[in-house]
Amino acid sequence: MGEDGESTKINHSFLRDYVTEADVISTVEFNQTGDLLATGDKGGRVVIFQRETESKGESEELGESGEYNVYSTFQSHEPDFDYLKSLEIEEKINKIRWLPQQDAAHFLLSTNDKTIKLWKVSERDKRPEGYNLKDEEGRIKDISTVTSLRVPVLKPTDLMVEVRPRRVFANGHTYHVNSISVNSDGETYLSADDLRINMWHLDITDRSFNIVDIKPANMEDLTEVITAAEFHPQHCHLFVYSSSKGTLRLCDMRESALCDRHSKIFEEPEDPGNRSFFSEIISSVSDVKFSHSGRYLLTRDYLTVKVWDLHMEKGPVETYQVHEYLRSRLCSLYENDCIFDKFECVWNSTDSVIMTGAYNSFFRMFDRETGRGVTLEAWRESSKPRAVLRTRRVYTGGRRRRGDVGVDSLDFTKKILHMAWHPAENIIAIAATNNLYIFQDRVKPENQCEET
Amino acid sequence: MEYKVEAHRIMSISLGKIYNSRVQRGGIKLHKNLLVSLVLRSARQVYLSDYYSGACLNAQSEREGNEWDITDSEREKFPPSTTECDRVESPEEPQLTEQPEASEKEREYRENDAEKSERVDCTSTSEQESNQNSSLDSVSTETTTESPSDTTVAERDSTPVVVNGESHQPPKTHVCSSNRKRSAEESESGDAPQKRTKVASSNTKEDEEEAEEMDTGNVSNLITIFGSSFSGLLSKDGTKPEAEAEESGQICCDQMLKNLNPWSTAIVAF
Repeated sequence: MGEDGESTKINHSFLRDYVTEADVISTVEFNQTGDLLATGDKGGRVVIFQRETESKGESEELGESGEYNVYSTFQSHEPDFDYLKSLEIEEKINKIRWLPQQDAAHFLLSTNDKTIKLWKVSERDKRPEGYNLKDEEGRIKDISTVTSLRVPVLKPTDLMVEVRPRRVFANGHTYHVNSISVNSDGETYLSADDLRINMWHLDITDRSFNIVDIKPANMEDLTEVITAAEFHPQHCHLFVYSSSKGTLRLCDMRESALCDRHSKIFEEPEDPGNRSFFSEIISSVSDVKFSHSGRYLLTRDYLTVKVWDLHMEKGPVETYQVHEYLRSRLCSLYENDCIFDKFECVWNSTDSVIMTGAYNSFFRMFDRETGRGVTLEAWRESSKPRAVLRTRRVYTGGRRRRGDVGVDSLDFTKKILHMAWHPAENIIAIAATNNLYIFQDRVKPENQCEET
Repeated sequence: MEYKVEAHRIMSISLGKIYNSRVQRGGIKLHKNLLVSLVLRSARQVYLSDYYSGACLNAQSEREGNEWDITDSEREKFPPSTTECDRVESPEEPQLTEQPEASEKEREYRENDAEKSERVDCTSTSEQESNQNSSLDSVSTETTTESPSDTTVAERDSTPVVVNGESHQPPKTHVCSSNRKRSAEESESGDAPQKRTKVASSNTKEDEEEAEEMDTGNVSNLITIFGSSFSGLLSKDGTKPEAEAEESGQICCDQMLKNLNPWSTAIVAF
């Protein structure tokens, strides 16, 4: 995958940053079976990993089974330019979503700020051989040398993975696209930018339906923007979108063509005791995910993750503090722009554990049944293959244990923003800047770490 | 008083962020700038609440017709206390070159850029205004006379302004916050929150002229001089992405503004 800063051996730090900037991973996504893992980076590239299948029996004991290796790499988006507005369009991949598999080929959607593309990933392991008019290298044969006719046959060849763009959904958005979500109907998907949500049909690229538009008539009246959107996993008519004010709106497309009016709105009244200059910023929801069951919603704002029950609008049913110790440091986090970081959150396969990222290469997991949280670290130095993931702790007072990290020694440049959880097993993929960590939970209570 | 210093600092940081976002790759990010503007507004409210605890709130609740009067009376309470204020008041172009001699690296860094954009902005706004609003003819005329040499530069920039299909017409011009011009601009502004911010902005200006004496950093100078255009900045919060080209046309075409520190005017231009 990418290279890390230490190995470049370049003294000029600016050059090192330049080299690795494009390798910073910006999205991670498993496909529906978990066999494929796609990552997108700031340079517009997509790298697909495939899980090696171990056909032998005792796969767990062999240890090396289930490793993810690079399957394919391709350039999804290129830097673009909007001539009308004199704006550069970044090639950074904002989101990747896999389509449900229908045949041997795999399809995924990738998007940058403006354009969504549908890619077909297919394998080719056979090629025809024995042409009459061409020789093995493809050169045209001299017709006089052809004495007999034969039928070309398919011969096995080295596996080749081909990735081809099948659709380009362009010009649908004026603002920056932040989310895409494939509908359970398998035919449509939505794309959300700051002010609008469009619904597309996967086969139609020159038209999309606008289903949410929160742009005010007078832009000076703008008070909130859309930050994330997702379709319900089972109900093809329901979707949710989150706003910068910390509200969630559930919309039913059966109600009207334009879903500006929500069916349900989920918001928690602000705690007046915690009011500060930055209250609005930290209440902005950076990610929203439906549970696999479709019953709950998981949201991430700057300091917490919350679980909401679709049946209860007045507040979340569970709130977990991710890094409450940062509340007193919001001003300095505002200065260094960290307060604007958009962390993602994920459910595990059974909806019993939720996970989200933090700083200092830490990420947090919360067990919903016990309500307890644990801090883990995705850092090369402390992770070797087959190593057990140690739990970490940030020292916030009380008795200081060995290994505790003080709040002031947290490295805010090492942030875990993007992550994914395997749909069926306890395998997680964590993106730490330009490194991808894959952690697997074995039958034995050990965590294996593979780092790519 | 610490919270006031804090609020002041947060305001200057916010302004810096808004300015920086103009040059960031990928265009202006609406979400981030909206959040920054909210912080800016909160900080400003806190900052102002101390000086004008009663008066300011009353002023903010006033609607059309009254706000500017109050503004003027507020100004009387706080006579110009520094040379900054004098510079702000007098419409002399040479001021432009004097002020940039700030010790702050940022200012110098942005000086050329800001200066140019500021001139460009003023002129292009004037061009637009003359097309769209007759009530502001006085404004545009003044501007045009002040910067006759900028037409060539302005033309380059005014084209995207005109072409941009998203431009809203009258609200752009209300950015101008000169005291003289406010009555003309009143007709532009649509809703109460804008007016509130405009009143507060004038207060901010006075306020920060006072604050300037207390503060030691140059940053306060920026805010002080900038103060008169505060309203424009805040009300432009939402127009960021589509108004990228537009904003250059929205800069206050005020005489006073043209003489402001190019650093602060560049922020206003945003």
